[in-house]
Amino acid sequence: MTNDDPARIARNLLAAALRMEVDTLEPDAAIGRTERWDSLAHMNLILALEAHLGRPLDVDTMLAIESLADIQTLLENDQAG
Amino acid sequence: MNAWQPGQALLLNTERFLLRSLTVADATDTYVAWWNDAEVQAGLGMRPRGWGRTEAERHIAKFDNRQRFHLGIFPKHAVLPIGFIALFLEGGARARTNIVIGNKQYWGQRVVLEVREAALAFLFERIGVHKVYGQVDSRNFASVFNYKAQGFACEGVLREHTMDADGERHDLVNFGLLRDEWRARRTPGRREPGGVR
Repeated sequence: MTNDDPARIARNLLAAALRMEVDTLEPDAAIGRTERWDSLAHMNLILALEAHLGRPLDVDTMLAIESLADIQTLLENDQAG
Repeated sequence: MNAWQPGQALLLNTERFLLRSLTVADATDTYVAWWNDAEVQAGLGMRPRGWGRTEAERHIAKFDNRQRFHLGIFPKHAVLPIGFIALFLEGGARARTNIVIGNKQYWGQRVVLEVREAALAFLFERIGVHKVYGQVDSRNFASVFNYKAQGFACEGVLREHTMDADGERHDLVNFGLLRDEWRARRTPGRREPGGVR
């Protein structure tokens, strides 16, 4: 993996939003499955994603984010651009 | 089941909170301040109201405990509420809810999920509504989370429907939950979204 690897970035962004160590983040982290994923964490996650991407998320993209996998997919799609 | 009758004050109970109909006597400085707080009002898609106690009392008096409910959210054994939930019964066996957590120390504490669950039980089982819905500014990410975590379906987006204090337009997201969906979610043994019990 490289520093711009979407999987790594997704894990770092979500772990920071959930106030967790990256190593403790489960691969299947998701709303409803991950206890620390609450409303404030979700807000912080979306804001962190927007800061990383340098643009606001459109509403459909924002609504689709429900899991770590969704975040990784978003970042992969952005890199593929 | 709750012994409430139309027109009477409503009292609902959750694990951490008591929800009860507010009266004009509850228009305290704390309550009034929520209506004038930019962050709190942004959650409703509104600007600070510039209210005093008179306006707050008038607002509370609009709720009749028949079609409109304005319930304070009181931590058990506390005197002052930390916010409120409003329930609006509409035609077509439909209801709408609004929640404000005015005490910011309770933000991110899953209060909305816990409180709205009690409201949903009242609306679906006691009132018999078929559907509960809500609308949220798409930039209100915390509220979007709460609807999704509670099993509401996104039913569409009203594009550039609202305007904030800076004149920027925002999308409005419609969320809805049907009674059968809510009942299915409460099936014993099924883990609730967000760990809600």
